[in-house]
Amino acid sequence: MERYWQIEKINLKYHIPVHVLVCVLMLLVSPLLMGVANLEAQDTAKVLEMYVALIGIVLLPPVFLPEQDHDIRDLIGTKYMNSSVVYLMRILGNVLLLALLLGLYIGILAHNRCEFPAGKYFFGTISEMLFMGGMGMFFYGLCDNLVIGYMAPIVYYITAMGSKDQYLKMFYPFSMTGGSYSEKIWMAAGAVILVSAGVWLRCRRRRCLNG
Amino acid sequence: MPVLLQLFIKECKQTARSLIYWAIVLILIFDFTSQLGDMEIDRKPEPGQAEYGMKQCDDPEIIMRSALGQLTEEYYRESYTTYPIGFYKNVTLNEKDDQKIGEILREAAGIASREEAGKVMEEWYSASNTASADRFAAEGITDIEYIADTADITDTENMVNIEDFSGGEGPIYQESLKVEPVKGLTYERFAELMDQVDKILGGGSHYNKEYREHDAEIPMTYEDALEEYNTLIEKDRLTGGYARLFSDYMVIFLGILPVFLSVTRGLRDRRASMQELIYTRRCSSFTIIASRYLAMIVMLTLPVLIISINPLSQCISYAQTAGIKADPFAFVKYIIGWQLPTIMIVTAVGMFLTELTDTAVAVLVQGAWWFITVFAGIGSLDGGAYGWTLVPRHNTEMNWQGFHDGFAQLAANRAVYAGAALLLMAFTAWIYSEKRKGRLQIRGKILANRKNKS
Repeated sequence: MERYWQIEKINLKYHIPVHVLVCVLMLLVSPLLMGVANLEAQDTAKVLEMYVALIGIVLLPPVFLPEQDHDIRDLIGTKYMNSSVVYLMRILGNVLLLALLLGLYIGILAHNRCEFPAGKYFFGTISEMLFMGGMGMFFYGLCDNLVIGYMAPIVYYITAMGSKDQYLKMFYPFSMTGGSYSEKIWMAAGAVILVSAGVWLRCRRRRCLNG
Repeated sequence: MPVLLQLFIKECKQTARSLIYWAIVLILIFDFTSQLGDMEIDRKPEPGQAEYGMKQCDDPEIIMRSALGQLTEEYYRESYTTYPIGFYKNVTLNEKDDQKIGEILREAAGIASREEAGKVMEEWYSASNTASADRFAAEGITDIEYIADTADITDTENMVNIEDFSGGEGPIYQESLKVEPVKGLTYERFAELMDQVDKILGGGSHYNKEYREHDAEIPMTYEDALEEYNTLIEKDRLTGGYARLFSDYMVIFLGILPVFLSVTRGLRDRRASMQELIYTRRCSSFTIIASRYLAMIVMLTLPVLIISINPLSQCISYAQTAGIKADPFAFVKYIIGWQLPTIMIVTAVGMFLTELTDTAVAVLVQGAWWFITVFAGIGSLDGGAYGWTLVPRHNTEMNWQGFHDGFAQLAANRAVYAGAALLLMAFTAWIYSEKRKGRLQIRGKILANRKNKS
């Protein structure tokens, strides 16, 4: 247990402080950009799905970043602890951070007299965060390139904005705004698959593709 | 062969071998096919059509009726839409401010209560629905959805579902509510009252001068539609209008995609541990950076030019059958004038920040800029109001007049971004040059300091 905590401590101290700061800043500036008080359920969903969920893209794809250098990765590979355990611990830590930030944000929305089903929206938004972040991890793992890891979920997001659910169907991220929740179940399942596949690809990779 | 040209060709080859470049090309193709893949060239309007679309109107009577209609609806719903800095914001008022709005509505439109506002809406949409249903029934269409067409057609999220009022079977686009001002209300007093409403709502509402004039739309007649079509054919030679529409769709993705390529390119040398080796070459820093920059710009513009062949050929084919003298270079002109400055600045931002920080932070910076720009532009999709946006919108092949009126602003906008891009490129070359001399190693220094302390 001590070893796992040590992994998370290193992660928090060296690897993700800047990313967490970016997420916090994004949430802090949101009242300047959009309404966060007296919202009806549909408008609250819009804030959560179209803005708050973006922090998933900021926080999840960089879990592989510390071992971006091939030499460091080779060195890590010689250690007793499996790389996948390290990645999973980092992912778990980052997901808890996401949940914490989202929980606080939802608490503030509720305090500001927004009317919405808090639990349902919490799980809906977190599944979108994990899906977009998981997509980033998957492509990062596949191509060994953080930039592609950011690009994939951003393109997915723009596609959803431009084409609505025409192409994305059950993976349409802004479904709660339209009053539908079933997509969130699909996204949660998709997130688990993408995150797992991302970690598997990363651990399996020996030679990397050229970005 | 000059060194710059040699390096440029080398960089183009490297870009062509890059996975991310081909991902970008695929995304651009997807963007085009999903948005304009089934593009149909506008036909000449015929007399007796059911409708010809809407047009903006500067008649004070219409402006007053539109704004008061909007205010009546929002007052009834107790929910007001604003765009304080471009973003959608929903405002719900406290009791005191709600009362003030009620008083303004009473003075301007003679509507004394929320119930009366609801009654006015019900009557308008019921009458409108009946007229629509009759019209569609005459055409043999019975399976109709009912949605009210708000004054701001782009704001689809805020379309009012009027099933409650109409008893309809689903959404249909309808003319938004219009409410007559009280007798004797002057336009000046109306403007004062609307400014007060805007102030109460915190600004950026449908009632400020800019929005209320933009919102005033009336249905086009056959003559109006014919005139607009003739403008497309004569002034735009058909191709101009479609080149603008093409640019509108492509520039959305071009407002962010180039940054992925430039960041990847910027980080590649360090990842391959080739940085120091390249530093020792005799070639000047400016030549190295300029060749990279030019290669990326050319390689990013190339797929856009190739994709544009599709809509261009459709336009030319239609023009030949309709006897229109199309401009075969219209798309090239618009790509260079409209899209290239966006490609230039986004690529330059990516190069500059990557060279400065040796990280992928440019993706986040450009992502934030893109997000704000795109959402801020939602209110000006029809074109004409180009401002200083990174992504100028003109989501219609029509509105030549708007383009013409806003051309000076658009040209200034594009020139500023192209100039800023060249400036950033020069800064990038300077940073690169300093790094070659062992200075400005921001990343190295931070790590070194941390090491020393430990």
